[in-house]
Amino acid sequence: MRCTKVIYFIGIIFFLLTGCWDRKETNDLWVVTGVGLDQTKGGEVEVTVEIHSPSGNEGDGAGGEGNQAGGNKTILQTGKGVSIPKAIEDLDTKLPREILWSHTEAIVINKELAETGIREELDFFIRHPEPRLRSYVFISEGNAKDIMALLPPLERSSSEVLIELAKSEILMKVTLFDLMEMLKGESGASILPMIDILPPEEGKQPLETIAYINRSAILEHGRMIGTITDRLTRGVLWFRNEIKESTVTVKPEEADGLISMKLIKGRTELIPKIDGNQLKMTVKVETIDDVIQNKTNWDLKNMEKHKMLEKELAQKIEMRLTDTLEMVQKEMEVDIIDFGETFRQKHPDKWKSIKRDWKERFPSVEVTFEIKASVLRTGQGSIP
Amino acid sequence: MSRVFNRRKLKFNQKNKEQQDDKLVPKPLYPNLDQNLEVLHFLYKDCSDMVFRSFVIADQTKAQLIYIKGMSNIEEMDSNVLTPLIQKADQQSINPKTLIEQRLSVAEVTRIESFDACIDQLSIGNPILLLEGNQQGFALGLAKWEKRGVEEPSGELVVRGPREGFTESAGVNTSLLRRKIRSPQLKMKTLKVGRYTQTTIMITYIEGLSDKTLIEEISQRIKRIDIDGILESGYIEELIQDNSYSPFPQVLVTERPDTAVSNLLEGRVVIIVDGTPFVLVAPTTFYSLFQSGEDYYHHFMISTATRWLRFLFLFISLLLPSFYIAIITYHQEMVPTTLLLTMVDSREAVPFPALVEALLMEITFEGLREAGLRLPKQVGAAVSIVGALVIGQAAVDAGLVSDPMVMVVALTGIASFTIPRYNIAIPFRMLRFPMMLLAGTFGLVGIMMGLLAILTHMSTLRSFGVPYLSPMAPMKGKDMKDTLIRAPLWKLNTRPHLTGEYNEYRQDSDQKTFRRQGR
Amino acid sequence: MIEKGKISALQMGILMYHAIIATGILFIPSTVYEAAKQDIWISPIWACPLGLLSVYIAYKLHTLYPNNTIIQYSEHILGTLLGKLLGFVLLLLLYTSASVMIWQYGEFVVSEFLPHTPKFVIIGMMVLLCAFAVHGGLEVIGRLAEMVVPIFFLLFFIIIILLLPDIEIKRMLPVMENGMMPSIKGSVTLYTWFAQFGIIYFFLPFLTNREKGMKSGMFSVLIVTFTLMLTNIIIILVFGNVTENFNAPLMSATRYISIAEFLSHLEALVMAIWLAGTFIKICVFYYAVVLGTAQWLNLSNYHSLVLPVGLLIGVFGMQAFLNSAEAAEHFRIVSQGFMDTLVYGVIIPMFLFFVAYIRKLRIFKQKGRRER
Repeated sequence: MRCTKVIYFIGIIFFLLTGCWDRKETNDLWVVTGVGLDQTKGGEVEVTVEIHSPSGNEGDGAGGEGNQAGGNKTILQTGKGVSIPKAIEDLDTKLPREILWSHTEAIVINKELAETGIREELDFFIRHPEPRLRSYVFISEGNAKDIMALLPPLERSSSEVLIELAKSEILMKVTLFDLMEMLKGESGASILPMIDILPPEEGKQPLETIAYINRSAILEHGRMIGTITDRLTRGVLWFRNEIKESTVTVKPEEADGLISMKLIKGRTELIPKIDGNQLKMTVKVETIDDVIQNKTNWDLKNMEKHKMLEKELAQKIEMRLTDTLEMVQKEMEVDIIDFGETFRQKHPDKWKSIKRDWKERFPSVEVTFEIKASVLRTGQGSIP
Repeated sequence: MSRVFNRRKLKFNQKNKEQQDDKLVPKPLYPNLDQNLEVLHFLYKDCSDMVFRSFVIADQTKAQLIYIKGMSNIEEMDSNVLTPLIQKADQQSINPKTLIEQRLSVAEVTRIESFDACIDQLSIGNPILLLEGNQQGFALGLAKWEKRGVEEPSGELVVRGPREGFTESAGVNTSLLRRKIRSPQLKMKTLKVGRYTQTTIMITYIEGLSDKTLIEEISQRIKRIDIDGILESGYIEELIQDNSYSPFPQVLVTERPDTAVSNLLEGRVVIIVDGTPFVLVAPTTFYSLFQSGEDYYHHFMISTATRWLRFLFLFISLLLPSFYIAIITYHQEMVPTTLLLTMVDSREAVPFPALVEALLMEITFEGLREAGLRLPKQVGAAVSIVGALVIGQAAVDAGLVSDPMVMVVALTGIASFTIPRYNIAIPFRMLRFPMMLLAGTFGLVGIMMGLLAILTHMSTLRSFGVPYLSPMAPMKGKDMKDTLIRAPLWKLNTRPHLTGEYNEYRQDSDQKTFRRQGR
Repeated sequence: MIEKGKISALQMGILMYHAIIATGILFIPSTVYEAAKQDIWISPIWACPLGLLSVYIAYKLHTLYPNNTIIQYSEHILGTLLGKLLGFVLLLLLYTSASVMIWQYGEFVVSEFLPHTPKFVIIGMMVLLCAFAVHGGLEVIGRLAEMVVPIFFLLFFIIIILLLPDIEIKRMLPVMENGMMPSIKGSVTLYTWFAQFGIIYFFLPFLTNREKGMKSGMFSVLIVTFTLMLTNIIIILVFGNVTENFNAPLMSATRYISIAEFLSHLEALVMAIWLAGTFIKICVFYYAVVLGTAQWLNLSNYHSLVLPVGLLIGVFGMQAFLNSAEAAEHFRIVSQGFMDTLVYGVIIPMFLFFVAYIRKLRIFKQKGRRER
C-alpha cells in the first residue's frame, strides 16, 4: 500500500520534471494580425504577414502616456515559395521569433491568385489548428502586400481596418467558415468582398490611408470570374437575406425632389416552384424603412402620399433586384443567390435530377417578385 | 524494508507498555495519615508550588489540607473550610466525617480513595482534605485559576450573530454549550489524554441525534491516543483523522459556540479539549467547511449568493495563477486579440518565463502574508508598506514582473481570504503551487489533470465513515438543500444523514408563515 | 467478494453515461455525417435500442447470478474450461477497447493542444491518474462520476447556449432527403458506442439497490441518446455541410463561438468536459479489466493488478496505431460492423443468456420427469 503510493508520487514528479515541450513565451512570439497572399510573376505564392510589434513598457520613463496617436506598431514581412507552407518556411527564416497564427483575423488574397483558384490555398488555413474560422477573407484589386503595408491613421493596423469594415456589414462580410460553406454548397459559387486602396488625402503620405470594400468578387468553384458593383452587391445581399444596412433614395414622379429612406428591417423569402419542366422562383421581400431626408414638398403624414412613397420604395427595390438578377443570372450565370440550395430544400427528390444540369438551367429560372415595402416613421420633425 | 520498520515499531510498543504497566493499578489510600503524607511528599518532591497545611479538626482529629498554589481559591478555603473545622466541637467525640458533612460549606465535595484520584483532583486545582485514621479523602471543588474571559473570537468574525467565543477553559466552554442547549439530552463524556498533561477531553453530543456507533468510534480513537501531551485540539485532530496524509481537514475547527451547537443539532459530535478555545466537530464534509454560521442568520438568498461567491473565489484562489500561466504560454489563441496585444506589450521586457514569474510572485506573497501574521503589531505597518512595494508598482517598474501578473497575484490573495475557514483555505493555497507547475508543463490539460487528481483524492477521503464529498457524491438529494445553496429554513426539514441510524426530521413540516387564502 | 465497496444505481447510471458520452460528443457528429448527412440527429434514435438490448441482457443474466460478474458466471454456465476460454476472449476484447480509448485520448491531446509533448508523458499521466482512482475502488470511481456530472452538464449547456447565435435552421433542411436509409446507415457507427453499455455486467453485482439497476441502466441509455441528438442537432445547425471537414466538430464549434468579441475560443470548456469524461471512461474500462482479470485468475484482491494492468493498457495504447490513416482504417472497419464492442457488449452476453436459458429449461424438464 505504502509502496504503491510512493510509486505514484515518484511517477508524477518524474512527469512534471521532464520539461515544458510546448511552451511558447509571449516574448518569443510574434502575433500575426493579417495575412496577404499574392501571386508573383513567376507563379509563386508570396505570403505577407502583418505583425504586431510589441513596444514593451521599458525605456521612455515619464513619457509613457505620450504614445503616438494611432501608433502604427506593425512590422511587415514576406516570404515566397511554391506553396503557402513553403512560403511560410521562407518567412520563418527571415523572422527571429515564432509566428502565432491564431490571431490572424484578416486574410487578403490578390486578384491574380484568386483567378487561379483559392480552394487549394485555403486548405492550409483550415487544416492548421491555429487560424480562426472567423477570420475575414477579402480579395484585393492590387497586391495584397500593398494593402498590408498601409499605415491607417486611426486604427492600429491595416488588417484591423479591414476587420472593422467587414463587421459593419454594409457590403459583403465573409468569414473563412462562410467561404468553406459556400465552396461546399450545391452551386459551388461564392462571393467575396473586394477591397481597394482609398486614395490618400492631399498633403498626407502616400501610405497614410486605408483599404476599403467597394465591390464584390464572384467565384465559381474557387476561381474568380468577375466582379459586381456595390449596388449589385446589395442586391445579392437582398437575395441572400443578409441585408443589414441600406439607404434607398427615390424620386417620385409627381414630386420635385428626392426622398431618402434607411432600412430598418429587410427579409427575403425564396419560394421555389417546379411547374412541369419549368423552374419558377418567387422572391418575397418584406421591408420596413424610415425616412431620413425629405427634399420634396410632400407632407409625408398624409396617408395618400405615404402610400405612394411605399409604392416608390417597392419599385426601387424591385429595380435593384432585377438588375442584380440580370447580371448574376443572365450574364455571369453563377448561382450566388442560393436558388439551387432553396430548390434542394423544398423539393429534395426532384432536385437530384435538376442538380446534374443546374448550370444550364439556372439562367432559365423564371423569377417573379412580391415586394411589400412599408415606411414606418417619417422622422421626428421637418423643416417648415 | 517495511518489515524492519514493523519490527522496530513492535519493540517500541512493548517498551512503552512495560513503562505503563506499573501505573495501571490505582493504589488505595492508607488509613494512616502520616503514611499518606509520606507518599504524597514523595510524589510531589521538589514541587515548590504544593502547599501542605496540617491542622486539627475540632481539637480531635489530625487533618491535612493539600493544594497547589494559584490554582485554588484561598479565601474560600479560609472561610469555608478551615474556620468551621478548626472551631471546637459542641459535643465531644463526634465523628470527623459527620463534622465535615455538617460544617463544610463547600458545594462540591468528592470522596477519593486512591492516590491517582488524589493527583487528578490536585491537578485541576481542587484542594484535598485527608483525615487521620480514614481511608477516604475529600476533594473540595474550590479550583480557581486565572482565565481569560469570554470574548469575541478573532478568527471567525461575523457581521450578525452572537459575539461570544470559546475560551481556554473546558468548564467555561461546556457552560457556553449548556446555555444554548438546555435539554438534558446534551451529553458530555470526559476522557483524560496525555501521559504528563492529563488533558481533559470532552466528547459532546446530543443523545438521540448522534449515531451511537459514531460516538463509540470517536471515543475509541481518542482512547487509543497515548502520547506525552495534548496542548491543542490540533493534536487530537491529527491523531484521529481517517487519512493523515491528506492536506484537507477532516474535522471542522471552530471557536464559536453557535457553530458548535448547530453542528450538535445536526447530529455531529463536538470534541472540547481543555486548554484551547478551538473545538473539533466530527464528522465533517467538504461542503460544510464552506459554511459559515452566519449563513443561517441572513436571508437565504443572500446566504446562497455568498456561498456561490465563496466557491467562485475558491476556484480563483486555486486556479487563477495557473490559468494565467497556461493561457499566456500555451493557449494564446484564447485571449481576445486586443487584450493579447496589451499583455504581449507588458510582458515584452520581463526576463522570466511566465511560470517563474508567477512562482516568484506567489511565493513572495505567501511570505508577506506569513510575516504579517507573526510580526508584532508595531512592525505590521512597515511590512504592508514594503509588501505593497515588493509586489506592486516597484516590481513592475523594475521590469521584473508584468502588470497583469500583479493583478493576478493580488486577486488570488484576496480570493484566498474569502474562504471562511482558515484550515480549508490553506490546502488550496498550498495546492496552487503544484497546479502552477502542471500548468507550466501541460497548459490547460495539466490544470484539468491536476483538478481530477484532487477530486480523486477527495473522493477517497472519509471523515469518520462519512464520504468527504457527500452529499454531492454519493448524492443525497435531501441534504443538497444545504450545500451549494442554503434553502430557506422552512424547507430544511431534515437533518443531514451522516452514518448509521439517524433522527430524520428536525422540524415540523409547515414552518412557513401561514397565509390565509384570498388575501 | 473481491470488491467490498458498493455503489448506488444512480452512480452506475452516471458511470455508464460518462463511459459512452465522453468520446461520443466529440467524434460522433463527423463520423456519422459521412453516411447520414444532415440527418445525423436522427441516427441516435435508431441506435438506442441496441443500448437498451445490451442493458436488458446484462440485467437478465444478473438476475440469474446476482452476486457474480460475467467472468464468474460464464464458468458456471459453460463449464470451467469453456467458461475460462470465453472469459479470456472477453478480457482480450476489453483490453483492446481500453487501449484504443487511451490511444484516442493521447492522439487528441497531442494533435489539438500539445503537438510537441511526447505522447508517452501524456498517456502515462492519464494512466497514473486512472490507476490512482481504480486503486481507490469502485466507490471512488462512482463518486468521481457523480462529482463530474453536474459540471459536465453545466458546461455542455453553456456551450450550447453560446452556440445559439450561430445556428441557422436551413442547414438542417431537407429532413430525410434520401429517406430513412442514410440515418440508419449512420446509426451503424453508433452501435460501437451503444454496445459499450454491455460493460454494465461488471457493475450490477455491486449495487446497493439492485432492483433499480435495470431502470437506471435504461435511463442512462436514453439520456445518452438525448445528449447525442442534442449535440448532433447543434453541430448540424452550426456547421451544416462543413461538419465532415472537422475531426471533432464540437471542439471546432466552440472555437467558432464569438460573443461580444470577448467570449471567443472557448475550446477550453470542451476540453474540460471531454477530459473529465474520458478520465471516467478510461477508469470504467480500466476497472472492468482489472476486476475481470482478478476474477479470471481467482485472486482474492485486485489491488495488486492495478499497476501492471495500467502499464499494459498504457503501452498498448501508445502502440495501438501508427498514424491517423491506420486509425481511420481501423475505425472504418469497425463501423462496417466488425465491432469488438458489439461482441463483448451484446453477442457474448446474449450467447451466455441463451445457453443458461436452455440449461434451465432442461433442468425443469428433468425435474418434471422425475416428479412424474
